[in-house]
Amino acid sequence: MAKEAQSVPGFEPKIIAFLCNWCSYGGADLAGVSRLQYPANTRTIRVMCTATISPHHILKAFQKGADGVLVAGCHIGDCHYIKGNYMTIKRVAVLKELLRFTGFQEERLYLDWISSAEGVRFAEVIRNFTQKVKEMGPSHLRTTY
Amino acid sequence: MKAMQARVRKLLEENKIDGFIGLKMEHGHPAPFMFSRENLGEMETLVVGDVRYPLNKALLKVSGQYPDLTFGVMVRGCDERGITELLKWNQLHRDRVIPVGVACSSELAQLCECYKPYPSDWVVGEKTEGIAKSKRLQKIEGMNQKERLSYWLNQFNKCIKCYGCRDVCPMCFCEVCSLEDRNFILTGKLPPENPTFHLSRAVHMVGRCIDCGLCEEACPSNIPVRTLYKKINEIVKEYFDYRTGESSEGKSPLNLLGEVTLELSDVNK
Repeated sequence: MAKEAQSVPGFEPKIIAFLCNWCSYGGADLAGVSRLQYPANTRTIRVMCTATISPHHILKAFQKGADGVLVAGCHIGDCHYIKGNYMTIKRVAVLKELLRFTGFQEERLYLDWISSAEGVRFAEVIRNFTQKVKEMGPSHLRTTY
Repeated sequence: MKAMQARVRKLLEENKIDGFIGLKMEHGHPAPFMFSRENLGEMETLVVGDVRYPLNKALLKVSGQYPDLTFGVMVRGCDERGITELLKWNQLHRDRVIPVGVACSSELAQLCECYKPYPSDWVVGEKTEGIAKSKRLQKIEGMNQKERLSYWLNQFNKCIKCYGCRDVCPMCFCEVCSLEDRNFILTGKLPPENPTFHLSRAVHMVGRCIDCGLCEEACPSNIPVRTLYKKINEIVKEYFDYRTGESSEGKSPLNLLGEVTLELSDVNK
């Protein structure tokens, strides 16, 4: 369905990345100190744990015109708070289904686990997600509001 | 009706309950009323009918104020699911509530597209078969993404932010509501920020919505919020194998840390 959305030439998406302090932010840091190249479309918000991200935060990011929202936390079992990411995956799963049902393209929300050792993977995830959002074009909420 | 009156009278006279929250015919309209030993004479005016009120909401209020008293309450299938869920959320005390069941008419069940229009035990009405798959859900699921988007944006933008859906909801018991958090929902703007406003409420209905449909009846703008929450219930069933209010075992899926049954591939489809 997302394929229908036309890509706009020269469109640079705005992506909000919620990164957990212990793993994904570490991964981003490693990508940085390793001088890995990745698109600069993401705005990072560091959170202590992905479980602190309420679906409201994600919805609010979309409401304010984010073209994509990335939520990245520790791998299952590696959470600093033991089970924080268990909550995240449930919330994101529900929210994505809800976005799909209401016609807000749920592909704009992406959840992944990135450990602090996965700098290369971090850069890859950002590259892939940015590319995907770029192809999808601007968010409906950005154009309607 | 008579069976209901007799049951309530018996419960009151045997001191099993201190009050019964039911419907009373007053000036030709059924309205919520607290029947007690002091007004047993009014029992003749107790009615059932197809009208629905958030009696659980009234129950929450009075049982909060009088925690030592036991109350009876008239329950339909949905209300019973509500009580089961409210017990799980520690909003009611198990020994302080005695539900008296009513099975809904088939007309009402059709109108609600209720999957279980009868409580576990009832004194009035007859069991009618529930509707397994909601037609209004199917209608929306049959649309493509653009149609769904414009459908819901049109509906959401009718919102006048009266909070009627929340105020009538028997499952909305929070003392602080995130829909009133000015960091999330801008104040002084109509329609409210959509979809944030409506989807936030929908997310809060995970493991809570008992599909009573009072929200949609209360809505002055006729927004089909019930359809949205019906979808939420379907998602909860699909992902967590949880039917809200069906069993007193287990906790609401987002309430409990529990074990994770989902994989990333289930989420990023």
